Amino acid sequence: MSIAPIALDHADRRAAAKLVFDGVSKRFGRGPESVLAVQRADAYVGEGDFLCIVGPSGCGKSTLLNIVAGFETPTAGEVRLDGRLVDRPGAERGVVFQQGALFTWMTVLENVAFGPRARGVPAAEARDRAMAYLEMVGLKSFAKRYPYELSGGMQQRVGIARALANDPDVLLMDEPFAALDQQTRELLQEEIKRIWKRTRKTVLWITHSIEEALFLASHLVVMTARPGRLKAAYAVDFDSERDPNVTTSAGFTSAKREIVGLLREESIEAQRQEGVAT
Amino acid sequence: MSARNLDPGLAADVPDTDDVGVANRRAARRSRALSLASFAAMLLFWTAITGSGLWKPVVDPVFLPSPLAVLQALQKLLNTGYQGKSLLHHFLISLMRFGLAFGFCIFVGVPIGLLMGMSANARALLDPPIETTRPIPKLALLPLFIIWFGIGELSKTIVIIAALFPLMSISAMQAVRSVSIRKIQAAESLGASRWTIFRRVVLPASLPGIFTGIRMSVGVGVTMLVGAEMVATSDGIAWMALSAADFIQTDIVLVGVLIMAAMGYTLDRLCRLIEARLVHWSGKD
Repeated sequence: MSIAPIALDHADRRAAAKLVFDGVSKRFGRGPESVLAVQRADAYVGEGDFLCIVGPSGCGKSTLLNIVAGFETPTAGEVRLDGRLVDRPGAERGVVFQQGALFTWMTVLENVAFGPRARGVPAAEARDRAMAYLEMVGLKSFAKRYPYELSGGMQQRVGIARALANDPDVLLMDEPFAALDQQTRELLQEEIKRIWKRTRKTVLWITHSIEEALFLASHLVVMTARPGRLKAAYAVDFDSERDPNVTTSAGFTSAKREIVGLLREESIEAQRQEGVAT
Repeated sequence: MSARNLDPGLAADVPDTDDVGVANRRAARRSRALSLASFAAMLLFWTAITGSGLWKPVVDPVFLPSPLAVLQALQKLLNTGYQGKSLLHHFLISLMRFGLAFGFCIFVGVPIGLLMGMSANARALLDPPIETTRPIPKLALLPLFIIWFGIGELSKTIVIIAALFPLMSISAMQAVRSVSIRKIQAAESLGASRWTIFRRVVLPASLPGIFTGIRMSVGVGVTMLVGAEMVATSDGIAWMALSAADFIQTDIVLVGVLIMAAMGYTLDRLCRLIEARLVHWSGKD
């Protein structure tokens, strides 16, 4: 179990990929005050891949996800899903946010059934589907509760079930576990990996945690400090089912060391920029 | 997934409603007792300085009648009415003036505020008339309204509307504009149409803000009622108090004031009650 460098501009693989980033740049604002958040990002996510993007804070990785979600439009370049240009939010791209995105006024069940209902699925069928996904994330008995009655970890499960219930082509996850405590986070990571193996969804996962990325990803991309560029990419293979102690294995540790090394340069650069900015 | 996949701390993780409930109830009981004590102290002070026939009043009853005298005045008003009309009539006519204006603002002002929150065009169109007329004391317009709409009910209702409309529409607009972009994005990426997003996300998320405007309107509305009944009428609770003042019937004035206070208080409690049922989730994100 190890990581192996790959090229993200591999022409054949790009052509066959599910999700393609083609020279994506994003600049916020105009003139001298403007900030280049993402610079010429070229990447692809294959069908069924679990791609984690890791980078220092403020490197534009969330911006990249917002572009794929259709919440932001790129200043240059484009994102294509199954060959179609992404230019607005759509149900084929399910999004899980870090926090605060659940509908507080709806029960857990209503939250999860929202997507199917909004797309015209009959109420009874939407309800059954929502219940099935709530069962998948272990929250069946909380269906009638309101989000504020649930812990942070449980709320994130609801968010994941809500995205899955819509059966999207791609799952976009913007640091979904960043606000959780360590124990909850680790359990949810295992659960997510299990769900991914079962559903084989294409996943784009943003995180600043190298361990999380190595543990979850089938592919991993390291992003540079602002302006965010894609610095390195790896195929990743760490399976906790084959080895429950995989995160303390020699392969995992050396992979982590390699990524930490890459990111350290970037973090120093990011802090230097912040020092200049303030 | 089996139960063992749940957080080990799952049970402890769920907010412990029982403990919190007990503490809350105790705090609520204490603050209720304090409120009651403060109310009793006020009544006691009133009784003390007016004597209530038990001792020599400190204040001349012409200026401040005792609580007992006010109660007697209320009794008399209930039996014989005021100026040829029953107390109930005066009360109902005031309630109607307030209710018409209040209802109009809820059913027209709030939707217009929502529209302004949703659409930049509607905002550009409707904001100037509302914002520029907002600082005008609406009571100052009453003479004008009487010239325009006559001395009947219309001018009275309109002056109250003029005061409540901007309150309700602007708070509804602000409420829409402060709906979390996250929640709207979440709905968008779940495939919801604009209308669905409005109906199931923006509207419910705006309810707490809309209620703030509605509750402010209760206080302002009762105040405006007094102003509206100052001229060109011969009924209504505020009119009763004002006209009794001309004859220095302080006890009747106080009955009128207390009825209006009770009306404002009851309406506010009613709003809070509805609010608590409808937006129990408010502020718990």
